[in-house]
Formats: sequence, C-alpha cells, structure tokens
Amino acid sequence: MTNLASAVESSLDLVARACGGDVNAFETLYREHVGRVYGLCLRMTGQPEMAEDLVQDTFVNAWRSLPGYEGRSSFSTWLHRIAVNAVLAQRRRPQGRNEVSLTDEAGEQMDFAMEPAMDDATPIDLEKAIAALPPGARDIVVLHGIYGYSHEEAAGMLGLAVGTCKAQLHRARHLMRARMKPEGTS
Amino acid sequence: MTTLPFGPRNRETDPSLAKAAELPKEIAPPRDLWPAIAARLTSTPQRTGLRALGWPGALAAGFLVASVSALLTWGLMREPEPAVDASLAAGEATTVAAITPVQYGPNSALGATELATRNQLLAQFRQRLDELSPQTRQAVVNNLAIIQRAANEIDAALAQDPASGLLNELLLGAYKQELQLYSKVVTSGDGPTRRT
Repeated sequence: MTNLASAVESSLDLVARACGGDVNAFETLYREHVGRVYGLCLRMTGQPEMAEDLVQDTFVNAWRSLPGYEGRSSFSTWLHRIAVNAVLAQRRRPQGRNEVSLTDEAGEQMDFAMEPAMDDATPIDLEKAIAALPPGARDIVVLHGIYGYSHEEAAGMLGLAVGTCKAQLHRARHLMRARMKPEGTS
Repeated sequence: MTTLPFGPRNRETDPSLAKAAELPKEIAPPRDLWPAIAARLTSTPQRTGLRALGWPGALAAGFLVASVSALLTWGLMREPEPAVDASLAAGEATTVAAITPVQYGPNSALGATELATRNQLLAQFRQRLDELSPQTRQAVVNNLAIIQRAANEIDAALAQDPASGLLNELLLGAYKQELQLYSKVVTSGDGPTRRT
C-alpha cells in the first residue's frame, strides 16, 4: 500500500471512529486540519480572535454533523464548507458585518502568524492586500486563489451564483492590483 | 510595497492569483483551541435520524417564504374594504396576544444584536396590530406561520448539512422576510401611498 493510500485509509478510519463518538479520533482529525481551517477563517475575517471562535464553532458543528458526512467530498472540503458557513453566520450578526481589521488593539499594523516570507515577493504584503478587500471579493480570492476551489465549488460554499463569484474575482483583482502598486506609479 | 503585474484571467496565469496560490494553506492558531472544543463536545450530542428532514422540505419552505411579502401586501392593500371571512364573522378573530414572533432553532439562533433589532421593530408592530382589521391580522398570523415553518425546516436541514451556503441564504431570507413583514405592518398606517 502506498503512503498516500495508507494516509487516506487512516483518515477514513479516523472519520469512521469519530462518527461513532470517539473523541480521541476526532482530536486527531482536529490536529490534522486545524491549520487549514484557521487559515481560512483568519483570511476571510481578518480578525485573529474571531477566527479562533469560528474554528471552535466549525469543529463543534462538524462533530455534531459527522453522522451526516457521506464521503461525497473529502473530509477537508467538508470541513471547509462548515467553516465558510460559520463565517457567513458570523457576518449575519449586525456587529459582524463587513468588519476588516488590519490593526491590533494598539493600532499597529497586524501581521499574520504564519511562516516567514520565502522570497522577495513579500507574501505578507499580499496577505494584507487580500485582507483589505471587501468581504465578497476577499471570500472568492481566499477560496479560489489561495485554497484552489473552482468557481463552482466556491459559489456553492458561499451560496452565490457562479457568475457573481467571477465578477467578485474580477473586482478583487483590480483592487489588489491597485493596492500592490508602489505609491507614485500609475 | 511589491508591485504585482496584472495578467490574464485565470488562477494559473494571473500573477496576483498565482502568488495567492503560493501562500501557505495552513496557519497555526496562536493557542491550542482543542481544550475549549473538547469541553463543548461533552454537551454536543452527535445528530442522528435527521435524514427525513432534509433539503426538499427546506427548499419548499424557502419558496413559501418568498411568497410571504406578496401575500401580506395584498392583505394590507385590501384593508379599507375587507372581505368577510366566515370564521372571523363567527367571533374567532385573532387576538394580538396570539401573534408571536418566529422562533429560530439551535442551528440558526439569532445573535443578541439581531434579537434587539427585531424586538425594537416588534414593539412598533404590536402597537399597530390593534388598528388592523381581523382579516389582515389573520393574514399576518398566516404569514408568520409560513416563516416559522420555513425556519423550522431550514434549521433541521442545517443540522444535517451545516456546510450549506444555500441553507444559510434561505435562513437569511426567512429572517429578512420576518422583519419586512413587521415593517410593512408598521408603515401601512401612514397612508395609502406607503402601502406597497
């Protein structure tokens, strides 16, 4: 058996055990997936504390709904859909709408707790440009641009028409282009 | 700040999106969130037996909710010349106390601020109810019942499929329709031109 096949079988076994109420198996799944889920929530909200809350909501909702998971998509994708829904639910609350924070409590520019930039392309700048996008445009850049979901998949997650997703991406690209340009250039 | 050239349209060839694709997919949270999650799992039973309450019901309920606005508008427009309903004529008029706001389930609970907003509108709505004819009041009750049914179906479907964006949209639609219903009742007494 290849390493990949072994890993898939292991993951399926963990999901099956978690479905049966095995909390230890679910913790292993949490450890495997929390980085991607937190990354998604942080990028969609731009707020670390809120992202932590949403990660908790995501895994609690996943635990509750595990018996309904039929394996039609990967566990990771299924988890991401729950996370996106948690973010959208947060935005439905009036105090959560359209909030994008690029500064910390002291008013300093916020840095994301991620791996350091690997080259001169300064991904941190790109992260800030993405975080500064309006929520709708940011969502599609995060899902499609960073996490590689197709327009159809992203539209399904966000409850939007595919055309709307494409329009949001077009808008995002223009906004990012403007933001990433040095001052004084046209 | 780095300049990213603006290229063709797809993810693979657009420079900004290509750069985005290279960003790390995983970001470690600043602290271990598992203890808090584990504590919540003890009071969160896994769902079973919800297959029967799924998408078809939620979608049908969503469709019904979409009709609420039109139905109520019709009722309010007819307010000056109400038709006589046999049951109402027999003294079964709906009382104000019988009109209750929509209850949202555990999978679609409203936030505190949303509840406050709704309660504020509800207070004005209840004041206006006394002025409505029994027929229109009954129409309000019927519309609230439709929204309640939709909220129940959507909540049950969300329990089964919390990852669904469409269900969240349907839920938001139900909430908006509830607020619009109250708003229409509140503004309907301001004159015929406001009854739209």
